[in-house]
Amino acid sequence: MTWQNYQLDSTILKADEDMTLWQTEKGMIKIDKNTLAVPIKLAGRPKGFIFHGNSKLLLDTIVETQEGAIGKPVEKEMNEPFLMLGETKEIPQHLTPAGKEDLTNIGYKNEQEFIAKADDLCCKFFREGKTHVHQCFDEDQSFIFAFPNKAGKLDILVAKGSKLVYKAMDRVFVSDKNKVVLKTPKEVILSSNRRSFVIKK
Amino acid sequence: MSEDIKEEMKKLREEIAKLKDQLRDVTERERKRSHGIYIDVGNRVRDYVEDVMESVAEGIHGELEKSIFIGPRGVRIIRRDEPPRHEEEVEVSFSKAAEVMSALGHEHRLRILKELISGGRYINELQEKLSEITASTLSSHLKVLEEAGLVVQEKVRGRYLITMPGRTAYKMATRITRFLERRDME
Repeated sequence: MTWQNYQLDSTILKADEDMTLWQTEKGMIKIDKNTLAVPIKLAGRPKGFIFHGNSKLLLDTIVETQEGAIGKPVEKEMNEPFLMLGETKEIPQHLTPAGKEDLTNIGYKNEQEFIAKADDLCCKFFREGKTHVHQCFDEDQSFIFAFPNKAGKLDILVAKGSKLVYKAMDRVFVSDKNKVVLKTPKEVILSSNRRSFVIKK
Repeated sequence: MSEDIKEEMKKLREEIAKLKDQLRDVTERERKRSHGIYIDVGNRVRDYVEDVMESVAEGIHGELEKSIFIGPRGVRIIRRDEPPRHEEEVEVSFSKAAEVMSALGHEHRLRILKELISGGRYINELQEKLSEITASTLSSHLKVLEEAGLVVQEKVRGRYLITMPGRTAYKMATRITRFLERRDME
């Protein structure tokens, strides 16, 4: 199937070692050895992956203000497949073809089951989520991640260098160097160089 | 008869003219004395002003019968027969309050909070500043502070940050101490 010219490959791969997919001062996404991966291609070139396996998202959605820190970090073990688009130059070097045993270890009966789940996630990201990924999105240090959440929707993380936007069920976090915005169900905090505004709802 | 009336009218006119002259003289004298505008308010107005002054004096006396609280947010007057506003509006979880107080209840933990007031610190930086505390004790103190919500640790960089409640709790502890020290000196 094709979404905005992106296409899911049929080759199922696995990580041959633990890998850090993305890391900045604020966040990190790691996958463990044997995590399954299926490439997402644009014009025949890999532009991303659907991963499923032991993986973790760490994100410090904390705002430092002169009155003290506000917010809590996100520490999420990913039990569902998640999508990654962006800089993938080094990732293929650490992926090898997955066998049936690798699939069953994650809980899939066969390749088709994993591909179907990966397909559903792509559908949700490109169509239902109405996300439009620009064709120019292939710059260095640029990433988009999409993680299914409990509400059946997607938590989205967009990062470019030190800039990041994270939108989840319970919070929106925007960070660019010393400028940070955190929106929670109770308050909105804007901070720039530790000077901050807190708007209580 | 008409002559008598004419004579009487003449006297009256003369009398009115005299009174007018007197009034002009009095007004002029008062204007010079007060260097301003002179208004004769009359006795009724004076009595009214006295009544008002008396009621104001009674009001001030009544206010002094109430409690006056002077705090960091300004002055608040509380009537003796009404409960303090914060007790009415906020229901405090005593178990949570006890947890916070317990977290504050150690000299080392207060010193950790003091170090974090100026900004986030890595554990080795804290260890350097608080060299008399062993590494394992420092970690367990930080865990207590974190569980009470007074400190938060970044997951990526690992720095410890004092939270907004942590800062407030530290300020509260230092204020109470200062208050008690000042009272002891008196």
